[in-house]
Amino acid sequence: MSTTLFRTFQPNQFSLLGTSLLRRRRSNNFSVRSCGSQTTTTHEAKQSSPTRVAPKNHKSNKLDEILRDYEAVIGIETHVQLSTLTKAFCSCSNNYGSYPNISICPVCMGLPGALPVLNSKVVEFGVRLGLALNCDLSLKSKFDRKQYFYPDLPKGYQISQFDIPIASGGYVDLDIPLEFGGGHRRFGITRVHMEEDAGKLLHSDTGDYSQVDLNRAGVPLLEIVSEPDMRSGIEAAEYACEMQRIARYLGVSNGNMQEGSLRCDVNISIRPIGQAEFGTKVEIKNLNAFSAISRAIDFEISRQALLYNQGKADEIVTETRLWEEGAQKTVTMRKKEGLADYRYFPEPDLPEVILTKEYVDSIRASLPELPEAKRRRYEAMGLGMQDVLFLANDVSVAEYFDAVIGKGAEVKLAANWIMSDIAAYLKNEKLSINDIKLTPHELAELIAAIKDGTISGKIGKEVSSLPFNNESSFVWINATFSIFADTV
Amino acid sequence: MATRALLAVVSASPNRCFISPSRITILQSLTSSSSVHFHRHSRKIHRIARSYSSDSDSSALQPPDVSRLAQTARISLTPAEIEECETKIRRVIDWFGQLQQVDVNSVEPAIRAEMDGRNLREDAPETFENRDSIRASIPSFEEAYLKVPKILNKE
Repeated sequence: MSTTLFRTFQPNQFSLLGTSLLRRRRSNNFSVRSCGSQTTTTHEAKQSSPTRVAPKNHKSNKLDEILRDYEAVIGIETHVQLSTLTKAFCSCSNNYGSYPNISICPVCMGLPGALPVLNSKVVEFGVRLGLALNCDLSLKSKFDRKQYFYPDLPKGYQISQFDIPIASGGYVDLDIPLEFGGGHRRFGITRVHMEEDAGKLLHSDTGDYSQVDLNRAGVPLLEIVSEPDMRSGIEAAEYACEMQRIARYLGVSNGNMQEGSLRCDVNISIRPIGQAEFGTKVEIKNLNAFSAISRAIDFEISRQALLYNQGKADEIVTETRLWEEGAQKTVTMRKKEGLADYRYFPEPDLPEVILTKEYVDSIRASLPELPEAKRRRYEAMGLGMQDVLFLANDVSVAEYFDAVIGKGAEVKLAANWIMSDIAAYLKNEKLSINDIKLTPHELAELIAAIKDGTISGKIGKEVSSLPFNNESSFVWINATFSIFADTV
Repeated sequence: MATRALLAVVSASPNRCFISPSRITILQSLTSSSSVHFHRHSRKIHRIARSYSSDSDSSALQPPDVSRLAQTARISLTPAEIEECETKIRRVIDWFGQLQQVDVNSVEPAIRAEMDGRNLREDAPETFENRDSIRASIPSFEEAYLKVPKILNKE
């Protein structure tokens, strides 16, 4: 029986720390940066930590040089697709990935005579997000028509909010990951407003036609416009990460960039250090990952700085550029011939959006603990920033951790277990922490048992290498507890 | 002040030169700070939209730039049609322009007639029953998609 109990590696209580540190670093590369460099992570994970820095040094040295002479001024517009059951202005289902053109009705198709009716959940989510971003709420806001012609816009206008958004004047606090220098940052939020999404336009590779799927037309969005407070690709990527984190914490969106439920457009300009005026602003679209945000900004800073250095600063024009992931560069999409004329006017078919103080207060009271509050609380508990950022990154992980320490487990031990063994297991099995069958209560007991020596660290480690979802493992664990309880 | 909103409607849809009476229903005043906010911004909107009225105290209404209007509305007009439309639009605007003579200095700007209640909808899905006829009425519906010309620019 003993041979089946012991697997290949046999760390004891002392090497436990060593292995868990190593493991933790790897799993951190995966988890903390899971909203960071998704494409570079697998590459980095194969190298051990020290050499991971080396490939980046060459490029970041060049960027550091540029940033000695120039300051980048970056703002981000984020579109969050809301996870409501129905669309913004009609009762069509809001679900991703259906067969094309089945979730349609006269309202979202823009057929004559159809009238929009606002989904109450959209207002609720808007208030939640506005409060989470520390904004002032407009107790009375309105919708406007943003008019332009495009095949994926059935009505010929988008119902949005122009001059009176539901929320404005907020900020977000976040922490830069340690591998990028760490530190707190606060970035301003100019506004949050409600609007509807357009349909999906698919261009055919051959031929001169495109195809339109209107399932997405009318899906509710919240647009978050930041102040131009970011100064680097890292800061911008972390801001976008935090937007995703907050959206997921609040439950207003699943925030998947791949699905398009979180979309970021970057506005960037550079100026010689010391210059008060902003440089010419360039918009970058087609950013499909947080790492792309960071790399696109780095590229754009270099591109613009080069033009400045060559005396060709006037070649930087107000335009929209696309990020090409393959070529790793931005390319001109089209030059803006002046600002677009959207002929905004108030949407006559919709009444004002009125929020009462009671409504706002009840929503404020129902908000969960937000990432920033969690991070500060974990820090106050004595955890290091690496642990803090890992545990607070995913709301489910944080909930699990809170439950484990809620059962009395020691904070640092619980953190270690979750960050090393459990994280590694989840990564291998490609599971999320919601799938794990080891309950917080059981983990707390396990930790306590190891701590007071009921089971030795060796056995504890054995337990950790068991599949956490295997029912027989728990029979084994319980048996182990009782067998080894008497053994010191 | 009320004319401003109406003029925005006209500017957006020059082909509908005659607005149904229900649209002209007098806008009740709503006392709210948001309306004042709108008032401040409405000048900005109209500078962007290049609309006709300048300030509420000015009584002169500028003539419509019909060719630009037609361009933004994606309606092609021959030069003769442009001239003809210009006169017609001008006449309608001048007719509405009578409202400029009303003293609204002590009246809060209003955007719409008061609607009963807040008119919000529960977030409960309902399938529209006649989707087939919607799809059938689309002239270029092919392989589950609406087939459209390939357009890459939004301008």
